[in-house]
Amino acid sequence: MKKIFEIALGIVTSVGGFLEIGSITTAAQAGAGFGYQLLWAILLGGLCVIFLVEQAGRLSAVSGHTIPGAIRERFGLNYFAVLFVVLGLVTLLVLGAEIGGVCIAMELATGIGFQWWALPIAFLIWLIIWKGTFGIIEKGVSFLGLVTLCFVVGAFLFNPPWTNVAAGALPALPAHDKAHYWFVAVSILGASISPYLFFFYSAGAIEDKWDESYIGVNRVIAAGGMSFGTLISVSVLILAAVILLPRGIQVEHYSQLPMLLVPVFGRSGFWLFVASLTIACLGAAMEITLEIAYLTAQGFGWNWSENQRPKEEARFSLVYTIAILVGALIVVTGIDPLQLTILSMVLTAATLPISIVPFLVLMNDKYYVEEHGNGWFSNTVLCLIIAVALLVTLVAIPLQIFGGS
Amino acid sequence: MDLVRDCLDKQLVDRNGHNMGRVDGVVLQLEKGKQPIVAFVEVGPVCQAERLHRSLGRVAKAISRRVGVAQQDPFRIPWSKLVAAGIEVIADVDAEETPALAWELWLRKKIIGRIPGA
Repeated sequence: MKKIFEIALGIVTSVGGFLEIGSITTAAQAGAGFGYQLLWAILLGGLCVIFLVEQAGRLSAVSGHTIPGAIRERFGLNYFAVLFVVLGLVTLLVLGAEIGGVCIAMELATGIGFQWWALPIAFLIWLIIWKGTFGIIEKGVSFLGLVTLCFVVGAFLFNPPWTNVAAGALPALPAHDKAHYWFVAVSILGASISPYLFFFYSAGAIEDKWDESYIGVNRVIAAGGMSFGTLISVSVLILAAVILLPRGIQVEHYSQLPMLLVPVFGRSGFWLFVASLTIACLGAAMEITLEIAYLTAQGFGWNWSENQRPKEEARFSLVYTIAILVGALIVVTGIDPLQLTILSMVLTAATLPISIVPFLVLMNDKYYVEEHGNGWFSNTVLCLIIAVALLVTLVAIPLQIFGGS
Repeated sequence: MDLVRDCLDKQLVDRNGHNMGRVDGVVLQLEKGKQPIVAFVEVGPVCQAERLHRSLGRVAKAISRRVGVAQQDPFRIPWSKLVAAGIEVIADVDAEETPALAWELWLRKKIIGRIPGA
């Protein structure tokens, strides 16, 4: 009974915490530019993330290691240093984008420019992490995050031509703007396969004291949570395809995004969108902030736990405090949050191999996963994911140049 | 025991189970005509920097001396005080009394501990 409750809670947490600025923006751009044609990219990203999250959870449950800890141990300090610098910098940009997302929601609600909100929002995020526990952040925010299910409701109410939607599940070449098409596809993959997602998930498995008996629970949560989460991204794409595309609206500014819900829900659609954006980005910003602190503390062997008092883990607390400040300062500079989001998603995609190649070794090393290592199927899938990631790395920067605008 | 696999980069905890860093370095003692013996393990930013690059190590050492928070950087723990246990290496010391936590304690006292709610 306890396990069933934990599964339900885990799925709710994953679903509520799934949507963030990157997935909303990239899915909306895809739908507005290419109708249902890029649906496959969201599905592919969702599938990859199910497998990666499952393996991250299994690694932590069986070995008691966090991912940064295991990477430092198995691959040594040099590899960890590269991962730390690259992932750290990219994640700071993503954090900036999420804080920017909350600020945009505030601008939509009040009319006061988004930059003005950056520092107050940063303080709020810091205060919740400073005073709160892991449970409050993970579960509290995620429960509120269920408001993002309004996109799913909206997509179903609109009753789109489902056969066309289904056709989008298979990759096809577009009739126009090929470079932009592939650019959006890459940014969707960057938004879906966020390393912070499975690093945070693995830290959660350790915080919640998972052991081998949680392998089944982990599998169900990973598959269920990530599939339902992907469904929300799919809904955003559908809404953009049925609402923005016919009106010729390309997503060039955040002020266009509330349009996704207004035709379905009327005036309250606007407020639903503002609430969704606020909660989704606020939750993501907290998770990403913690992820940066986890990465540092776990890799260097410091005290880390969101359940301890800040005094007990001064270095950990200092890292997240600085991270939030840097993230907020990026927004204060006045950089367009939309551009920042797309840039950080593409860079996430471009740097994916560094964080996921180690899985191939760790998930087959009996020292870590004992008899619960990957079978041929998981290994094949993992190799395919790495192949996709390497391909994305090769094309991401050229596409940014030729298809980014 | 395989030093690199079973010791280097592992989580180091003190006798009370408190995290005190990772095993950043292993020091071997060589004497003519004798087998090399494992003398110490090292912990600390200077040791990490040295492993990344020699010049980075020099910079870290200079900064560490200048700042003067850690009395001994890298901090050396005699091999005889260590036990490898499961996924950790346990050192028979009290972490808070060693230079390994100098920065942690300095931050606690000077910055983090002074913020309300810490």
